Amino acid sequence: MRKLLLAIAALPLALVLGFAAAVSAQSAAGDPKVYKIGAILAMSGQASWYGTVMSQGIKQAVDEINAKGGVNGIPLEAVIDDHKSGNAQEGVSAMNRLLSIHGAKIVLTSFSAPTQAIAPLADQNQVLLLNGGGVSNNLVGASKYIFHNRSLAGDLGRAAAQHAQSLGAKRMAVLHWKNDAGDNIVRAVQPMWEKGGGSIVAVEAVPQGATNMDTQIAKVRASNPDIVALWMFAPEVGIAVKRLRELGMKQPLIGVEYTANDAKIAGEHGEGYLFINDYFQPSAEFPWSQQFAQGYEKRYGAKPEFYAANYYEAVYVVAELLKRARSQGGDYVNGEALKKALYSNPKFDSVYGGQMVFQPNGVAFKRVGLFKVEGGQGKFQKYIEVK
Amino acid sequence: MDYILHILVMVALFAILATSFNLLIGYSGLFALSHAAFFGIGAYATAILAVKLGLPFPLPLLMGLAITALAGIVIALPALRISGDYLVIVSLALQVIVVAVMLNWTGLTGGTDGIRGIPRIEIFGARLDTAAKFLPLALIVAALCYWVGWRVGASPFGRALKAMRENEAAAQAVGKNIVAMKLAVFAIAAALASVAGSLYAQYVTFISADSFTLELTIYVLAMVILGGTGNLAGSLVGAALLVVLPELLKFVDLPPDIADKLRQLFYGALLIVMLRLRPQGLLPESASAHHYLAPPERPQVDRPVAAAVLEGRGLEKRFGGIVAVSKLDLALAPGRITGLIGPNGAGKTTAFNLLTGFIEPDAGEVAYRGRRLKGLKPHRIVRLGIARSFQDLKLFTRLTLLENVLVALPRQRGDHLAYVYFTPWAVAREERGNLGRAMAILEFVGLQRRAAEPAADLSYAEEKLLAMARLVATDAEVLLFDEPLSGLAPNTLREVQPIFRRLADSGRTLAIIEHNLDVIRELCDTAVFLDEGRKLAQGTPERLMRDPVLAERYFK
Amino acid sequence: MDLVLQLLVNGLVNGSHYALLGLSFGLIFGTTRITHFAYGPLYALSAYACWWAVAKLGLPLIAGFAAGIAAGAAAGVLSYALLYRPFERAGSPPLVILIASLGLFIVVENAIGIVFGTDTKVVPSPPASLFLLGPTAVTSVQLAQVGALAAIALGLWLFLSRTRFGRAVRAQTDNPEMATIVGIDTVRLSMLVFALGSAIAAVPACLILVKDGATAYMGFLAVFMGFVAVVVGGIGSLRGAVAGGYALGLVESLGLWKIPSEWQSTIAFVVLFLVLLFRPQGLFAGRQ
Repeated sequence: MRKLLLAIAALPLALVLGFAAAVSAQSAAGDPKVYKIGAILAMSGQASWYGTVMSQGIKQAVDEINAKGGVNGIPLEAVIDDHKSGNAQEGVSAMNRLLSIHGAKIVLTSFSAPTQAIAPLADQNQVLLLNGGGVSNNLVGASKYIFHNRSLAGDLGRAAAQHAQSLGAKRMAVLHWKNDAGDNIVRAVQPMWEKGGGSIVAVEAVPQGATNMDTQIAKVRASNPDIVALWMFAPEVGIAVKRLRELGMKQPLIGVEYTANDAKIAGEHGEGYLFINDYFQPSAEFPWSQQFAQGYEKRYGAKPEFYAANYYEAVYVVAELLKRARSQGGDYVNGEALKKALYSNPKFDSVYGGQMVFQPNGVAFKRVGLFKVEGGQGKFQKYIEVK
Repeated sequence: MDYILHILVMVALFAILATSFNLLIGYSGLFALSHAAFFGIGAYATAILAVKLGLPFPLPLLMGLAITALAGIVIALPALRISGDYLVIVSLALQVIVVAVMLNWTGLTGGTDGIRGIPRIEIFGARLDTAAKFLPLALIVAALCYWVGWRVGASPFGRALKAMRENEAAAQAVGKNIVAMKLAVFAIAAALASVAGSLYAQYVTFISADSFTLELTIYVLAMVILGGTGNLAGSLVGAALLVVLPELLKFVDLPPDIADKLRQLFYGALLIVMLRLRPQGLLPESASAHHYLAPPERPQVDRPVAAAVLEGRGLEKRFGGIVAVSKLDLALAPGRITGLIGPNGAGKTTAFNLLTGFIEPDAGEVAYRGRRLKGLKPHRIVRLGIARSFQDLKLFTRLTLLENVLVALPRQRGDHLAYVYFTPWAVAREERGNLGRAMAILEFVGLQRRAAEPAADLSYAEEKLLAMARLVATDAEVLLFDEPLSGLAPNTLREVQPIFRRLADSGRTLAIIEHNLDVIRELCDTAVFLDEGRKLAQGTPERLMRDPVLAERYFK
Repeated sequence: MDLVLQLLVNGLVNGSHYALLGLSFGLIFGTTRITHFAYGPLYALSAYACWWAVAKLGLPLIAGFAAGIAAGAAAGVLSYALLYRPFERAGSPPLVILIASLGLFIVVENAIGIVFGTDTKVVPSPPASLFLLGPTAVTSVQLAQVGALAAIALGLWLFLSRTRFGRAVRAQTDNPEMATIVGIDTVRLSMLVFALGSAIAAVPACLILVKDGATAYMGFLAVFMGFVAVVVGGIGSLRGAVAGGYALGLVESLGLWKIPSEWQSTIAFVVLFLVLLFRPQGLFAGRQ
């Protein structure tokens, strides 16, 4: 019996050693045979819908580029890892894996907590980080090498509030995600709304992942607002829209997101919902956007979300950076060289159409548009300049 | 290879969490799901102190430890009244409240932004800013925490915790202050968890509330149970397995869109398989004492003592509308065996409960050696020299016979953690002596050959003997036996009865509740007849049994 | 005042939902003593079965509910027969069975995500009509939640008090050793209880599918709330489970009348904790 117990107790040690063997066999740091692009996404857990669409965008881009012969004749390889829907420790473990085992110097990241947790590792190891998901202020400048190709959450909120002002609304009720993105928007909007002569009559927080918002909505309803602002993201925004309309609220609703998932949930209650978003609208005017959308639909049987577009686009940005940096010579696959390559010309083609410009703070300036839900889909209304 | 070193750091941190959680759940049976909250309080305390006050290592860790130990005591206080499944809600409440405070008290904790830029630990000028540099510290601290936990578990205090886990009333009846014990173990478990939190904060340098949720507690719980509750080494194994396993699964190549979900699925399946193979957990609960380490000396069990009269005067007790005991005067004299007889529900066990502090009388008083025992808790009364056994035995079933007796021995230095940590040699010496005493007691009742077996494996008769042995072990001068001989076969009775006589002859005060009239006649010097809570008669057994009124009520 | 009334109505509606969770979880937990953590994903599975019947096979909603109930009951019995029973036979302590249940939880939750994908599943249903009772608004789905609780609670009460099976269930809940002694086949009874409990759980699951849509991860909150309702109400008491569920629903709602919604879960737990402080055995004294 004791021998069996000793054997079992020795199991973890054996695992670690076997581990080490497996790990060293895979070591491929700095191997120019392949450009490794790591990605740390929500591949499991409550928010795994995000991981699904983001990874699909990445894979499509990688396949397309490789089909054309890769970058500098070298193929790309995407290594997708999991932060289990926003867990900081998992993000750090994933980053360690990508660094040590895959030698990745380029990582596409998502979600606030894991991104902030891996930022020090990115700095230490000169890893380029690209974020295409939600951007709260905390992520700006979190690392020397972090860039974002999505508008700041705060900016989206203020654009929405601007439009709400133009509609003549004075009393705003707010439903927001209880996390840094939601809180950021609340903090960004409140002063400008009040300066414009309006008042915030209710601020109700909803935990991310909650489906039961009845209490918050009852309080919003009781506050008698002119307009209800939804500072939250998928899929809670779909549930909120549905619930608000079901309970008979007729006020205009305005927010910062509305994905296909939300449209499904809200159904016909979503009609007329207004939202500000990075202006992603596949159209003949912008051939790349259409080509991407058609390719995505063929591969995955669904229309692409702008999240997928952002991560698709990010891979193309990486490809462009690799091209530029290589011409400078030396060891170019690292954050320092790639960052220099980025700022040598901060304009990049955007799959949204036209070009996006990376600002000194690392955030790409993209046009932001007002959309209105018609026939279950967001229809572009106009561009909004965030003041 | 930084990745492996990082994994080892995580194993070290989770080892601390798992061993401390095991002390709560495995050793003490306190199912408190607030461990992630303790982990988080340590992390936040360290982060705030290091960022806002710039305190150097190890000050934030030590201060965080103190704060979290206090939090542990705060949650222990309601736990004193609530046990088992209900404690889960109380601890969940703390868990939820702590996370809500982390999210909302923006001024202190950064709110939903969390705290970033936590300074790294600097030791002798070296900044521990990589996994390679951090690992030695992590391992040393983990070893220290393990040692702290191990000292608790392997000491008489740890044995008392297990006894409390098995049966709280019985633990009190052998003189254990379970309130103090619960507070102590909560404080220690919380403090150790906060140490892990403190290291975590200064390793990852960014913390936010969603790292400290119920999910983490459940993860650590799985480690403890897989490794084996009641065995600290098992917690190390559990922590290592459940940290390394998911990482190993990542080497299995799978289509990316379902890869991680599939890996999780394998992980869940493996958990089930491992538990199926070892349904008690990987490592079994270890006994804290072994009979073969006992010294040869066997102190005399029935050595003479100077007992005194235990008196109950005018005792009254009601439960709702039912009168359990009314105007009860009872005097138990030294050197004598007093029998308490009467029909079921007559109030005999209630009388014992009143005499030993398990219940407070509505009126009347209990006195011993002229001292009133009002408001004294049962464990105090045991220490004064008055002890009782239970009708339903309440043995510590998962402990060995030797441990059952050991835990009942009085005045053990090892019951006090201060001695356990600061004078371990004195505790060890005393333990050795106690081993001899415990073996002597087992020999006194004839159970010495089964000393190393768990009490759960005993036959009915052996269980009764063990209960008697445990009572005798308390070294109390007044011994109250509640139906000690019921259901025993005549030949066993013949062997066991002399034990009572020997104890009484040594000067002790004995009282027995019994239904077997032959036993009463042979053993008792005097008998008290109770019915419907009232003393109807007192006298020699023969006189009582000849009384026609009593015969009507009972003896027929 | 209007707000308070609305919060009260919300509390009763959500309380009905939690009460159903409490009833179903409590039936299983109280009778078999198994902490059926995997109840969560099996609850989700019922919702997915309903969705499959309605959205993929085009059947009417009532057939979807039937599919959900059937799937739930089957999954519940299978989980007992294939997972819990072997552990029971091996004499595993309850904590080990809890972690085995955790393993099943992880397996089923991820299996659902793999097979069905990560998007929210919705069923096409007629828009929930709104009823205005004075200043308060309540939708038809919400009324259905209350109605479901009433119907199931009544049905369960009749079952437990009038049928032989029901009496056996009560006997086993009160005293499992005695139940074996008087000749009750506890294994068959446990299977029945798992089937019945999981079938009941399917109803709130399908209602949530209609109301909010279903995801693979909807189970965690369900089992959590069910467990809390049962413990607060008193383990082993089904009346208690219903009371606990309503307590939860009402506190979650009314507790936030003047308090910011950030503190919703805190308020709920503080109140529940106070309940247990004054009645440590739960609202309706359950077994100790």
